[in-house]
Amino acid sequence: MVEEQKSTDDEKAIDPQLDHKDTSLELSQADETSQEKSGLSASSEFASEQVIDEQEVKRRELITELDALVERVQDVTGYYAPPFSRDRLIYLIRNSFDQYSPSAGTSLIRKISHTIHEDILNIETWKGVWYVINYIVDSQLGFIKRRMRGEYETDEWGFDPGFVQAVTPFIEFMYDTYFRVETTGIENIPEEGRAMLVSNHSGVLPWDSVMIAAAVYKEHPSQRLVRNLFATWFVSLPFFANLFIKLGQILANEDNGIRLLEQEQLIAVYPEGTKGVGKLFKDRYRLARFGRGGFVRMALKTGAMMIPVSVVGAEEIYISIAKSQFIADLIKFPFFPISLRWPLLGPLAFIPFPTKWYIDFGEPIHTDHYDGNSENNLALVSELSDQVRNIIQEMLLERLSKRKSIFFG
Amino acid sequence: MPDEKVILVTGVSGFWGSQVASKLLSDLSFDKEHPIHVIGLDIEPPSPPIEGLDFIQADVRNPYLNELLHREQVDTVCHLAFKECVKHTEANFDLNVMGTMKLLGACAEADVRKVVLKSSMTVYGAYPSNPAFITEEQEIQGVRKYGANRHLLEIESFCNGFRRQQPDLILTILRYPNIIGLRCDTAMTRFLRQPTAPVLMGFDPRMQIIHEKDVINSLAHAVLVDKPGVYNIAAEEVMTLRRITGLSAKITFPIFHPLAYGSQDIINNLVVEGLTSFPIELDFLRYECVGDLEKMRTKFDYQPSYTAIEALREFAGEQRLRRYITGEPLLEYDQERLKDTLDRRQRERELADQSEVKDE
Repeated sequence: MVEEQKSTDDEKAIDPQLDHKDTSLELSQADETSQEKSGLSASSEFASEQVIDEQEVKRRELITELDALVERVQDVTGYYAPPFSRDRLIYLIRNSFDQYSPSAGTSLIRKISHTIHEDILNIETWKGVWYVINYIVDSQLGFIKRRMRGEYETDEWGFDPGFVQAVTPFIEFMYDTYFRVETTGIENIPEEGRAMLVSNHSGVLPWDSVMIAAAVYKEHPSQRLVRNLFATWFVSLPFFANLFIKLGQILANEDNGIRLLEQEQLIAVYPEGTKGVGKLFKDRYRLARFGRGGFVRMALKTGAMMIPVSVVGAEEIYISIAKSQFIADLIKFPFFPISLRWPLLGPLAFIPFPTKWYIDFGEPIHTDHYDGNSENNLALVSELSDQVRNIIQEMLLERLSKRKSIFFG
Repeated sequence: MPDEKVILVTGVSGFWGSQVASKLLSDLSFDKEHPIHVIGLDIEPPSPPIEGLDFIQADVRNPYLNELLHREQVDTVCHLAFKECVKHTEANFDLNVMGTMKLLGACAEADVRKVVLKSSMTVYGAYPSNPAFITEEQEIQGVRKYGANRHLLEIESFCNGFRRQQPDLILTILRYPNIIGLRCDTAMTRFLRQPTAPVLMGFDPRMQIIHEKDVINSLAHAVLVDKPGVYNIAAEEVMTLRRITGLSAKITFPIFHPLAYGSQDIINNLVVEGLTSFPIELDFLRYECVGDLEKMRTKFDYQPSYTAIEALREFAGEQRLRRYITGEPLLEYDQERLKDTLDRRQRERELADQSEVKDE
């Protein structure tokens, strides 16, 4: 009872503000209509004086509202700009201007020069600019400070939202401008609840998993986080394991997969594994053997739906002509590709070719109607595995038959 | 008195032994319905002496031990006579592994009802193929490089067989991750007390933390309540190594991993005593070894009171003051610590309220 009373009290406390807002909005609308009317009958002096008065009143109202807004922002962010100084403002503008590319800089100058008005001569405008720039600098410094002090959050799997936010612009550039990814069938992914994406795997570096995650994040209405399952081999490499875990990727392991699905997450598996990534150019778009059906067992155990995904365009980003088992054994890699550029050009060979990509999400295959112990039914597991493989192969061929050019789609 | 429950704590002069014995005595000396009698066993008396403790001076390897257990009608044994060591030496192996084996043998002969052992999550070993959350059922396959880790592995694999031979004896093994605290001396506190923390370049494994008070409380909980089996005990949060060093205000010193492994081999082969560059075994700085806590929450029924962040903050506060003040750390000036303490007490009260509601 006490809690209920409290909540009603809270509502009451909020209500007056809302009422006030509504009435102010209505008032302003009423003002506009009266202004129009007075504009039509502009002949009388009395009316025009009234208009000026009304405008003055509106201006004052606006100023008080803005002041209230600034106060509220300061309450929420706890940020107060240091006192205004002209020299410091010019210094800040110059510094942040250097960060833009020359073309972006000139366009910015053009935009500013078009909007020159009496506002630009008003000191209040520059105080606003001062406030914004100071805030940006402060938040950037705060971000670095928090990273150094360890004051950031990661979830229990090691997913680091702050880090993802920092790399998002680069991934969006690769998605929109570099690979020009086109997706279909994104509506096959459920809004929430457990689901498993099953995809073909290609390209020497796993760009396809990054792009699938980006596609779901950008195109799907609920912006779901895709948990890609990656091979054990990456864990022993410096920087890679660290990077993947921070991006929310998980080591491919049946225990991990089942736990993720039981947490109602969206995972992506690549049953071809390193056989798919290390495919030669002559074998492109022909699916390799599908592991031992571990992904089907995970789906059957948790009753998660499997969504076949085909990625077209990733096979041509690195053209590997041969593989050297000897060097691979020497440096303990699962395979060592020899491509058109690698290892001749060294690190330059890491830059992928800008091919045109298509990601197609197929119709989901439901597994929740199978009975309890079905994950131990070897016949069923291999049958489902083959079924998914055939669907992905068909989707790939269908897309390839429509594709006219590797680079322009 | 026949209805008195007799508890034997071995290694009572060491840090863990003395803390657990005083915890048991302070908690239950007022409980008239379940009176207990705590016997302490060690080769030298505890200093300062523990009030109310019945101290017996003996070694756990003493062949007359089963007679002691039989005549004193010992009900529960809490075995904490374990020597932390980085290097494997025959003397330490004899105390740690042979001592435990002989004690367990004596317990089986004298019909002791329950044995509690303190172990570590290092027995799982840090491997690239480890699942993100290791359950207690996973096979133990730890790394056999560092002395203490190797000894724990030997003890645990012996216990697996012992449990099958003696199904009636309640054997509780508690596996802890990195223990942190102001007074204890563990691999993690040694790691964070160095001027800079050496880490491996490009590796940032997820880790778990537990505060020393939670270790003591959970051991006492296992002694008082019958919970047979193996349990992972850790604070809820899983955090990365860089976050741990960041929160404890430590500057990291990244080393390229082949160099680190090479130098470790060279240092281990030197005959100089006590010269070790890496307090934490390198594999644990490279790969993950994180335990699943589901069994702790549901079956063991224990909730650590310190969160990992609180434990680290307390440690960092002490480290900051240690720079200026020698001797006893003066933590009463640490505002963050007081704030965390108040939060923790609030949480504990809420938990107690919840359990009362459940009982009703």
